[in-house]
Order: sequence, then structure tokens, then C-alpha cells
Amino acid sequence: MTETVAHLTVDGAPADLAGMPDDERLLDTLRWRLGRKGTKEGCRTGDCGACTVLVDGRSTLACLTLTREVDGSDVTTIDGAARDAELSRVTRAFAEAGALQCGYCTPGFVVALAGLLKERGRAAPLEELLDGLQGNLCRCTGYAAIVRGVALAREEAP
Amino acid sequence: MSAASRSDLGVKLAGRAEYGVDAELPGMLWAALVPSPVAHGRLRRVDLGPARALPGVVAVGADDLATLLPRGAGDAERPIFPAGEVAYRHQPLAAVAAPTLAEARRAAAVVRVEVEPGPALIDLETAFPDWPGPDGARSPHVIAHVHARHGDVEGAFRTAEHVVEETYRTSSVHQVALEPHACVATVRGDRWTVRTTTQSPFGVREDLSLLLGVPESSVVVEGTWVGGGFGGKGASLLEPYALLLARAAGRPVRLALDYREEFELGRTTLPAVIRVATAVRDRRIVGRRVRLLLDVGASLPGRDFATGYSIGFLLGPYVTPTFEVEGYGIRTNKPPFGPHRAPFAPQCAFVAESHIEEVARVVGVDPVRFRAEHLWREGATTPLGQPVGPFGLAAALERADALARRWRSEAPAGHGVGVGLGFWSTSTGAGGEARLVLSATELRVEQGERGIGSGSVLRGLVAVAERALGLPADRIRIEYLSTAEAPFDSGVYGSRTVGALGRAIVEASDAVRADLAGRMAVAVADVSLAVEGEEIVVHAPGVRRTVRSLLRPDEASRGIVATGRHFAKPNAIDERRVVTGSFYPYTDFTGAAHVAEVSVDRETGAVRVERYAAFQDVGVAVDPATARAQVEGGIAMGLGIALTEEALWSADGRLLNPHLLDYRIPTLGEVPVPEVTFVEGFLGAGPFGAKGLGEPPIIPVPAAVAAAVRDASGAHVTELPLSAERVARTLKLL
Ligand code: FES
Ligand code: FES
Repeated sequence: MTETVAHLTVDGAPADLAGMPDDERLLDTLRWRLGRKGTKEGCRTGDCGACTVLVDGRSTLACLTLTREVDGSDVTTIDGAARDAELSRVTRAFAEAGALQCGYCTPGFVVALAGLLKERGRAAPLEELLDGLQGNLCRCTGYAAIVRGVALAREEAP
Repeated sequence: MSAASRSDLGVKLAGRAEYGVDAELPGMLWAALVPSPVAHGRLRRVDLGPARALPGVVAVGADDLATLLPRGAGDAERPIFPAGEVAYRHQPLAAVAAPTLAEARRAAAVVRVEVEPGPALIDLETAFPDWPGPDGARSPHVIAHVHARHGDVEGAFRTAEHVVEETYRTSSVHQVALEPHACVATVRGDRWTVRTTTQSPFGVREDLSLLLGVPESSVVVEGTWVGGGFGGKGASLLEPYALLLARAAGRPVRLALDYREEFELGRTTLPAVIRVATAVRDRRIVGRRVRLLLDVGASLPGRDFATGYSIGFLLGPYVTPTFEVEGYGIRTNKPPFGPHRAPFAPQCAFVAESHIEEVARVVGVDPVRFRAEHLWREGATTPLGQPVGPFGLAAALERADALARRWRSEAPAGHGVGVGLGFWSTSTGAGGEARLVLSATELRVEQGERGIGSGSVLRGLVAVAERALGLPADRIRIEYLSTAEAPFDSGVYGSRTVGALGRAIVEASDAVRADLAGRMAVAVADVSLAVEGEEIVVHAPGVRRTVRSLLRPDEASRGIVATGRHFAKPNAIDERRVVTGSFYPYTDFTGAAHVAEVSVDRETGAVRVERYAAFQDVGVAVDPATARAQVEGGIAMGLGIALTEEALWSADGRLLNPHLLDYRIPTLGEVPVPEVTFVEGFLGAGPFGAKGLGEPPIIPVPAAVAAAVRDASGAHVTELPLSAERVARTLKLL
């Protein structure tokens, strides 16, 4: 196994990683190397969205991303929600709408929606935002409360 | 009450809730299981040598149980590792632990396993190509046989004007809780401790005590937050392996499944074949016959719960003067059958409802009217002789029918509208206890279970205490304790949390009141609680005391402790109707009538759910926002059973779709936001007349969808799920 190094900024803090296996996934780096476990592991095959993080502001599945591929990037996770305006906004909206039950899909939904709001703007049509969340699975809510949460995140005053 | 009052939302939204997969202890090792390479066979040898030769690796197998377990063995019936017969593919044959997950996986891969393969029974229909005959129950494949009858069934069928006979097939569905099973185990001296994601810490403790052969007092289960349970996290699964490894290594050990293993090892609903026949005379049902072949996987004899319990759901909530039912639990080479939100009941309702619809059509009566005319009302008798208590299903059906008619009149071409019914009964489980602690400033509910996300603990139990004691939710806190400290309760399953444990909360609340009344020398009925500034204050006519002033010196640090209990209800089945086997007694009766509007693609057979509505008999909605969320979630999960979910096995027992890509659960765009209406006033067994609500909303969904598909396209599909392919085949498009 070859080892590699990477320098990331994670939720505002520098992370200088060394002696890391070449094929380490960003999800494992975040959760086990950096102890930032807010980001969840579901399928590890790109099918559930639970592991969604923002890499340089773009929604990214951490389970399909090798850490060395994002060397030099700025990574934002649910653990950094308090310091990011869109993440905070979505978090408030989800709390208000009760858009979670077990909460396991929640970090993925919150981060993915924050990414969409950053990319498309808060005025983006609801349908477009919902479309952008098709890759995130939730088994508990039946999505109804999530749809209400998305609507609130759009409309809620900044 | 807004959903935002749930106290767990903040911690979960901040990503700070520790789930089973997040648990980590200093110095812990990572573990992996060594799976059986075949579905059935005789174990010749498990050679752990090559794994043990790797640096830092600890390995355990059947041969190590004698030294690792204090009594040298655990449960003889359920050995942790098989020594003889291997019963299903991926059955754990050994377990290994290493400093990293990658090393543990490598170690598992080098374990040499020799199994002499035997013939595997995978497709249950091959066990009885011609259905079980008179001595079907003696077949080695049958591990459960239930049989009940009442009245002159033969006569009813002989003299009937119409006999409708059909065969239905249902699929295997997985819980798909997004969080895979995971735990971290530690063994110190004779104390076996496990932090785990579970619906039932006390159930896991009992299991572990049996499996490991250690007293319950030596086992401590600490429940983490649970990333969805749906029945899949009720019993122990990984804990025994992790504990054995921890014992062998002398260090904490983490064992978690990856999602593929989650599918492969999951204990869940397996396929079934059902034959139903109904005899009608003068437009009345005069006789029913049901035969069930249920795949129970590698379940052990005497441990199957589903065969007997399903039979009642297959008959539906309909008055049946004569009947005969017979069910066979067929042992196949798959993981054992396990609970999945209202285990197998949605499939049964699909059969019962699709069949009654067919009967009505044959008889020439409007299907909704035909149902309404036969529906149980309070005071009716179930087929097994139980009196029906308050039951809101007829009221729900009336409202569902009115909505269905409206939707049908508005529906564009190609759309269809269907109504499906379902019923359920709140389980009490093995009973349990609630413990309340009233301090000067708050009420604590000491609790072993965290709940599974539904809000039944965090919102439901808090709402019950709010109502019982008149304290606001922000002064009521659930405190989670391990099984070493928490009061016993049987777990968050069977829709029982609010219904059963909630009653214990009411009883404990009454005890708090009585205690306070005693201290103040006033009548219990006169006592009321209020919050004034920081303090909780007790009022009675002419008296006002702070709780603080009522505490005895020894209570100052903790508070006034009060407990309440609830027990399992007695079995009310009329045993004269039982020929053999055990059936499921109902505690109360919960009903739901659902309406689905679907469109069916006339070329591909693809079904899309356009609109959905639920009329849900809840007794009393203790917390309407949480109750609504349960219904919304149940509907979505039911749509998966109805339309896409189906685990598939090859003839040699390999799971063919162990991924979320091929085992498709509903996505955001596939579930319409449903209209949810509570039907209240038909009181159940729970506090204030509440009925359990975790499971009931999933039950009518496949039935409603199937009725809508039939309305839209004419396709009477008798198999689940109603995939595009099945619908197209039924319509002869393929
Ligand atoms: S864990 Fe990354 S998509 Fe499921
Ligand atoms: S809240 Fe449980 S998976 Fe979404």
C-alpha cells in the first residue's frame, strides 16, 4: 500500500494529513482520521447521499471521493454548520419543519440542500431544489416533512 | 405542538448525535466476519491459523467458545458459530479483529473454510410443488404449522352461489434503515458491555445472556442513537461476535456491517405464497379458506412468530361466519425471518383486500360497499373468537370512499383511484416499567431506549407525561441510561412505546401525584403542578409548596422517584377454534383506510403514484405533529413494498441485489405529499385512549396501490411488488 499526503481545510480548520493510504476515501478521513462524525456512512456506493459534503462549495459524495483527489480543497461538513450561512439557514428550516426522524439522512440532506442554495441561489424554484435532492434517500419521513423543510429554507428570511 | 419541540432535533441537525456507527473507544480494534461461502452444507473445518499469523490479528471461531465463555458454552440451540450444519450463505463462521478495518478484512479473507455443500432450499414453492397434503406438517422443511377453523366451512362452500379462489405471491423486503448495524464491545472481568444501535436494549441483554451463557446481571447494553430500526434492530445481531472478540483481545472491538452485508445478513420479511378462497351466498360471505406458505428462512422450530400471526391479517377485518386457515412456516436456506415494520402485515392486507375486491366484482357488488357490509364493528367477533373493541375502520372507510369518488371524478384518462384497508393491534411486548424522577426544577424520565427516530420516546412519552402531570414539555427530560440502571422495558417495537410504556408513564405520574399529596396532607385529586420561575410548584386548595421544599434531605440531589408498570394483556383467543399452533391475540383494534391515485404507463406498465390520502384510526393523537410524521413515513415505506422492493436470490442462495441501486426504495420524487386525516374517538388500550401508530400506516399501502392500478388499467396483479414488468405482463404487454 502506498501512502500519501493531503492538505485540506475542513470546516475552517487546516488538516494536514500524512501517512494515509493511497485509496483512503474522504468519508473515512473525515470520520476516523479527523473524528468529524457528523457526516454519515450509509451505502458507500453512491446511492444514498448520507455522506454528502461540500468540496469547494460543491455537493460531493464523500464515500466515492478519494481524499488525495481533493488535496488543497476546502471541505465543509455538517460539523461546520454553525459557521456557514446556507447550512445554518437549512438547519433552522429543517428544525422548524421537523424534517427528520432518526436523523441519519439529515446531514446529507442539509449539506446537499445548502450546496444547491449556494449554486442556484435562494430564489431557485422549489421543484428545481427538490430535483437536486433525488440522490438523497430518507427511510423515515416519507419526504413530506423534508419537502416542507426545503420550502422553508427557500422562503425564510436570511 | 410543533414538531420542533422534539428535543433530539438540535443534536441531530448539528451532526452531534452518536449513532452505533459512530461509537469509538480508545484502543479499539476493528472486526470483520468470516461468511459461509454456501447456502447449505456441513462444516468440515475453519482454519483460523492464516489469520492469526498476521500481525495484530485476533480470531475467534467455534473451537474458542469453550475457553472464552465462562460456562464453556452458550445456548445449545443457537450456537454463536455453527459447528455442524451451515444454514445460509454469509452465516458467520468465525470473526476476526485487527488494528484497522482493512487489516481485519484481509484477515477474514485468509481464514480457510471448508464446507461440504448440500442441497439448498431457496424457493419455498419447491418444498411443496403440489401444496402440503394431509401430512405436510411432517415435512422436514416445515418448522411451524398453524391450523384453525370454525363452523361448517365445507357446507358453506358446497352451498355457495359463488366461490372465488386465487393464489397470491409476495416478495421479500428489507428494512433499509440507513444506518447499518454497528456496535463496540468491551469485556472487563465478568462484565460484558456493548454500545449498540438497538430498538431494545433489554431484549439484546436477554439475547446475549442466553447466547453467551452469562447471567443478565453481567451484561450491560448501552443504546446509542438509532439510524432507523423498522424492526431490524430489535434482537442482537453483531453483539455476540464483538463481545467474543473483545474478550479474546482484551481490548474494545468495533464491529459494523457495510451496506452489502446489511442486505445479506438482514433478518427480514421473506416471500410467501397464499391461497385464498371465499364462498358467497345472498351477497354475504359465508365461508373463507386461507392457506399460507411462508418462507421463514433459517428460523428455528418454536421461534417462528409470523406464521400464526399472519393468518388473521390474511382474513382481513371482515365478518366470517365459517372459516378454515392453515399456515406452514417453511425453513429455507436464507437468513432467519425477522420483523419489518408491521411484519408481513402489508403483504397480508394486499392479499385480503385484492381478493375481497375480486370477490365483490364477481358477485357484482360495489367493492367498497361489499367491504363496508362485512367490516368488523365494535362488538363483532374476530375469526378466532376475540371480541372487537372500539374500531374506527368503518368511519375511516366512509371518508376514504367519499374522497376516492371525488378523485375519480377529477382523474384524467390513464389514472385510477383505489381504496385499501388495513388493521393492526398495539403490541404490549413483555411489559415494562417507567421511572419518573421529579426534582425541584424538572421531571426526568429514566429510560433505556432511545427510540428509533419516530419520536415515540422523545415526543410521545414526553407528551404523555405532559398530559398526565400538567407540566410543560421543556421541563420534562428523557434521560438515557444503560440496562444496568434503567428500568426494564421490552423495547421500541410493535407500535407499543406510547401505547404500552405510555401507560406505565401515566401510572408513574399518578404515583408522583399521590406522593406529593401525602407530603402535603391533601387529597390526590386536588393536586396540580405548575412552573413558577425556575421552580416547580405544587398547588392544592389553600396550599402552595415548591417541590424543593417537599424534598427530603436524602432526595435533594436526585428528587422524588416514582414508578409505574404495564403488563402484557391476556390472550383472548377462543381456543376451541384452534386446531394447532399459536395465533396472535389482539390488544386493541386500529384501522386505516387509504386512497391512492396512480397513473399506469400503457406501454411499459410503470406505475406512478399521483396522489395519496390516509384516514387513520388513532384513538387519540397524543402529539398530532409526531403522529402525522409516522403516517407520512409509513406510507412511503409501504409504497416501496407496493412498487419496487424485492430481494432476489439465485437458486444457490446468493442475494442478487444487495445494493440500494438494484434494491430500490422510494426516492423524493416518487412519493407524493399525502393528505393525512386522523379518525379519533375510537379509543385504544394506550394512555388517554391512544392506539399505537408506528406500524399501522404502512399496512394498507400496497392494497390501495393495487386497487388503483386495477382501476387505472384493468390489471389485477396478484404478486408483489407491482413492478412495471409485472403490470405489463398482467396487461399482456410483454
Ligand atoms: S454513503 Fe455515500 S452515497 Fe451512501
Ligand atoms: S430521518 Fe431517518 S433516514 Fe431520514
